Amino acid sequence: MPVILLNRLPLPNLKTYVCLSVLALSSCVYFATTVIKNPDWNKGKSGISNENETFNETDKFSGDTRPLRQYISEIFLVMVHEAVCVWVMINMACCCLILLGRCIQKLVFDELRISEQQHLEEKFWNFIFYKFIFVFGVINVQYMDEVLLWCSWFSLLGFLHLLSQLSKDRFEYNFQLSFSLTTPVWNHVKLLTLLICIFALSGFMLLISTFVGFFEGLNTFAFMSAEVILLSLRTVHVILRYVMHLYDVFRDGSGSVSNVSSSVWEKRGPVVYYVELVFEMSAYIIDFVHHLHMLVWSNIFLSMASLVICMQLRYLFHELQRRYKKHRNYLWVLKHMEQNYPIASPDELSQNCDNCAICWEKMESARKLPCNHLFHTMCLQSWLEQDKSCPTCRLTLNIETPMGGRVELLPELQNDPPQPTRRHLNHFFHFDGSRYVSWLPSFSVEVSHAQLVRPDQLVATNSQLDAMARQVQQMFPHIPLSTIVDDLRVTRSVELTVENILEGHVVPPPIFRELDVRPTVVPMSTNSRNSPTGDSFNVDEESSENWDELTSDNVDMEEFSGLGSRFSKSSSEREYMLHKRKEQMLRVARKKYMEKQKTKLDSSQR
Amino acid sequence: MAGSALRRLMAEYKQLTLNPPEGIIAGPVNEENFFEWEALITGPEGTCFEGGVFPAKLVFPPDYPLSPPKMQFTCEMFHPNIYSDGRVCISILHAPGDDPMGYESSAERWSPVQSVEKILLSVVSMLAEPNDESGANVDAAKMWRENRDEFNKIAQRIVRRTLGIPN
Ligand SMILES: [Zn+2]
Ligand SMILES: [Zn+2]
Repeated sequence: MPVILLNRLPLPNLKTYVCLSVLALSSCVYFATTVIKNPDWNKGKSGISNENETFNETDKFSGDTRPLRQYISEIFLVMVHEAVCVWVMINMACCCLILLGRCIQKLVFDELRISEQQHLEEKFWNFIFYKFIFVFGVINVQYMDEVLLWCSWFSLLGFLHLLSQLSKDRFEYNFQLSFSLTTPVWNHVKLLTLLICIFALSGFMLLISTFVGFFEGLNTFAFMSAEVILLSLRTVHVILRYVMHLYDVFRDGSGSVSNVSSSVWEKRGPVVYYVELVFEMSAYIIDFVHHLHMLVWSNIFLSMASLVICMQLRYLFHELQRRYKKHRNYLWVLKHMEQNYPIASPDELSQNCDNCAICWEKMESARKLPCNHLFHTMCLQSWLEQDKSCPTCRLTLNIETPMGGRVELLPELQNDPPQPTRRHLNHFFHFDGSRYVSWLPSFSVEVSHAQLVRPDQLVATNSQLDAMARQVQQMFPHIPLSTIVDDLRVTRSVELTVENILEGHVVPPPIFRELDVRPTVVPMSTNSRNSPTGDSFNVDEESSENWDELTSDNVDMEEFSGLGSRFSKSSSEREYMLHKRKEQMLRVARKKYMEKQKTKLDSSQR
Repeated sequence: MAGSALRRLMAEYKQLTLNPPEGIIAGPVNEENFFEWEALITGPEGTCFEGGVFPAKLVFPPDYPLSPPKMQFTCEMFHPNIYSDGRVCISILHAPGDDPMGYESSAERWSPVQSVEKILLSVVSMLAEPNDESGANVDAAKMWRENRDEFNKIAQRIVRRTLGIPN
């Protein structure tokens, strides 16, 4: 597993890397200046223009006052001829690219969230892995300068890929957030600008690939353009989704007549669906053809590279098939719905004062099932795609699926959605050699992030984990087992988890934290009275003062008893009130329990 | 589409906040991730879990409410229908397609008409009346059937632990 190995390597952080690169470059420049101090430096070499020499002749007399431009070009010339200097310059270019990426990140994204970072890292190593296979396994480059050209092409491409991936993640996050918090308009503008820039650059790269293809032949053109087209396709997809989402938000925000908007929504549903379909299908097809092309062109069917490509092809084929089946199912359900379930009349709508049971929103238009239950067309459609019964009364509907049999659930619709998606992200290739020839070995290649553990591996090692977790919990009884297990899943070692706990990386979840022996401080304590979580629970000593204290905080209780009846508009206030309500519930429960024990004790003493 | 899932979750959160059912609190701990909630469930009175406040985590799929959420207790639990890692095994949380136990009729399974409130209420009734036929925790099921006193003792210990009261 290459990625896990790389994660453990002590990679230097950005600052030291930049410093080292700059240092290396300046020493190279220094080297070049010492070389050209001797005006005859290029006398011995052939192939350098005469023009230079004449200049040098004249400069001999006027000391070292060569014009600056020429001075720089000479330095450059020296450096190009020195292998070490070339590498240093390549390194510097990489460094500049990374710095540029950092700048864009600071400008557009601010801090990256952990999931974004993980996603990015995963994508990065995946990209490097596949491109390595492409360069050395498929086109099998022989010369250093060719490798260099491909590398620079791919680093630019990979850079844009990563940026577009990041924008996509961030867009989905903004999208999610916009329901509870408001994202400033400025952020949308920045993100959209970045996306459009990526798209423009990919167009430019397409031009380059056409230009190169003109000289190098059709194959090179196909290899280069396929990637670029994929990139621009993904970018345009994100842009389109983004624009549609913004349209939604502003339409909702402007508070227009809901009648109009919902009818627009109903009509727009299929459009959105087809846009998604076209983009997804074309991306899969292009990727598939691209990989097929690689396989055919490389002409090496029994190598590691072809194996990896075959696995990728198989994955893409499955995805294509899945998407196609899903689409057929969609069409079938749509047809069936239009034929059998009429649109509810306005009378029926007005009689039915309930909201749509699927989305809990008001129904301006609806379809009626045979059992007289009403639902939005789009809601009903998406439910019937996976189950053939009325959501409310469970009446079985007679829908024959296009595949012949009755309800045939698509694999991805079955339970456990995280499992398949995760496997796709991981690019888990399993080669079962024994299926072909008995003596062939079976092996797996997994390109994944170290922290992502496949759920089925978990099941196998659960008992082991449990044993380890219990071992840790004996040392730290205040940390719940589930938290320890979570950490163990990452570290896979008792010692590391213990270390994490000692260093404070592993913190019990909030509910347990407030039961902790130490008094905790509520971060947003708005009331001037001493904070309710503060000193009331010294659980370790069950003294009588403690009892009194536990039973005497009625004041705080009353203060928060009213919270249940309010739903704040600000998300932080909601979070705070939820926290408070939970605390209060725990406190009341504790008090009740104590009182009960007390009366039990009293009655038994009597 | 994630948009409709969010809208629905928001509506449920609002309802649960304004009209909370007795002994139940639920909501997203951090609204940056609306798909992960924490719930507190009070043990039903007159049962061995009486008085306990049990924290649980609810994780919603992006296509909620078409698919059910997953629920997992984050405290120690000992119950015939709760796995030892805290995952809850009740029919309402099973997607229409899958049937791990092989006995449920589809009428008991997930449907978009169900909600967080209904899930939590059925968990409360599950705490009160374990179904010892579905063996999520075989040891607990066996003890529930054969040695009720011991089971009650363990349950009481868990209750005290959730309240932060030493044994
Ligand atoms: Zn609806
Ligand atoms: Zn019905």
